[in-house]
Amino acid sequence: MTERGGEEMSERQFIIPIGPQHPALKEPESFYFTVDGEVIVDVEPRIGYNHRGIEKAMESRTYIQNLYIVERVCGICSNAHQTAYTGAVEEVAGIEIPERAKYIRVLMHELERIHSHLLWLGVAAHEIGFDTLFYYVWRDRELVMDLLEEISGNRVNYAMATIGGVRRDINKDNFTRWNKVLDTLAERTNYYIRVASTEKTILDRAVGVGYLSKSDMIRLSGCGPNARSSGVPCDIRAISPYLLYDEIPFEHIYVDNGDVLGQVLVRVLETLEATKICKWVLKNIPEGEIATKFNPMSKVPEGEAVYLVEAQRGELIHYTISNGSNMPYRHKIRAPTLANIPSLVERLKGGYIADIPIVLAGIDPCFSCTDRMVFYDEGKDKSWSWNEEQLRRYSLEWHEK
Amino acid sequence: MSIESQEKVIDALVNEFPGSISDVKIPRLNRAFVTVEKDSLKDTVRYLKDKQGFTYITTITAVELPDNYEVVYHLRNNGFNLNIKVKLQKNNTVIPSITDILNGAVLYEREVNDLMGIYPEGHPNPSRLILAYDWPEGVYPLRKEWTIQELRERVDGERWGRDE
Repeated sequence: MTERGGEEMSERQFIIPIGPQHPALKEPESFYFTVDGEVIVDVEPRIGYNHRGIEKAMESRTYIQNLYIVERVCGICSNAHQTAYTGAVEEVAGIEIPERAKYIRVLMHELERIHSHLLWLGVAAHEIGFDTLFYYVWRDRELVMDLLEEISGNRVNYAMATIGGVRRDINKDNFTRWNKVLDTLAERTNYYIRVASTEKTILDRAVGVGYLSKSDMIRLSGCGPNARSSGVPCDIRAISPYLLYDEIPFEHIYVDNGDVLGQVLVRVLETLEATKICKWVLKNIPEGEIATKFNPMSKVPEGEAVYLVEAQRGELIHYTISNGSNMPYRHKIRAPTLANIPSLVERLKGGYIADIPIVLAGIDPCFSCTDRMVFYDEGKDKSWSWNEEQLRRYSLEWHEK
Repeated sequence: MSIESQEKVIDALVNEFPGSISDVKIPRLNRAFVTVEKDSLKDTVRYLKDKQGFTYITTITAVELPDNYEVVYHLRNNGFNLNIKVKLQKNNTVIPSITDILNGAVLYEREVNDLMGIYPEGHPNPSRLILAYDWPEGVYPLRKEWTIQELRERVDGERWGRDE
């Protein structure tokens, strides 16, 4: 008998610690799975392995210096963090940004969403052993990566937003070509929507896996595609519009599947919407300035602002407090993965060990790299360790039976 | 939701808890800030959840002000973001846990406890979440008394057993 969390465990149950070394994960996490045979009984998350003290560091740097820190909170949603940070600071400072800058910010925001969702779809396909789809998706993702590189000069960390506007302009001579790229992306995404909803390999591994009901999702405050796959309409772009989202016609995507298939569908459908939004931006972008002047040393008046953004993984909040100096007095960031951990834990309970990779990947925590995990059998005093590849293979073999 | 109907929500809140709600600010559509007394925090959150539809908690922020601590609960009803502030004395950093009302707060309260030392009383598992296991007790990095330099000396010195 082992005691854990005050409750007694039966002899049939043992604990599998998974993590925390996930080099590609923005918030490396460790999970203690209590399993009874193949079935997961309880999950306990532990985060903070990559706590870098960004909120503390921001308090001793100026608003412009912080742009660069904020962008490095995460590699995949770097632009979303900058959008939220600049939005919050501009709201406190009372800066109105030029119309053209808003369009460019939306364009970057949506291109980043396309690249992130396609990256996720590839990873998810890989986790369920459908590597053909993985290669197809990542090949097509290069289209949007090239576009991002052409616009900003970088494949990640685009450094486009600055306080008062954006740093680089876009040239309308390229619009015809970019529209063609977006058309190709939309066409490929349509193909993936068809694959996701009809292909037996995906349906077998995704339907009913990691199910969470709508009421549980609301109770656990999940956000982003994770919550929208359980039928919670929570896209910040639709319910609390920022930048231009009150003008842009787009569909608020949510499905009531509640399982991994729902997460796949939400993301592919959103990718399609994102290509439409990009095309709308290229069609309607006005001429004009791209930034208002903001002196790097200038002080920001006393005040506070909450800015909500729909990042690719869900709702992102930046809350800034200014005391009238040129540095934030306090800046709070909450990234979407933290909000999705309680619902992830519920999704995993009652599932099989073999479904851990896809359910974990389901909330999109970049769980794709060389995870290393140690299996420890309490009763038999025997331990062994698996890395991500071995766990994935175990899961594939288990499902072949 | 229009800004008028959001003002009505705040008015109803103020009328429900007379005397315990102050500093009401509605800077723009979908944003509101109120300050609540610590004793009526749980009742306020329960009322907002049950009667006004604030079922979603975005996060909890702890702020150290010159004279006291402030804990900000960012709630959301659909698109309407309501920020509830609670002021704490510097010598009494215990706050009632709201995890039993809003289950989504479970990790945020642990985060606040780790980084600012504000203890959520009644939390089901107030253990360490973010800081390392060997982080020294009583060192709350987001408090203003700690500069980054001091933190590095204190923590690295202890962790690696170097001389002070």
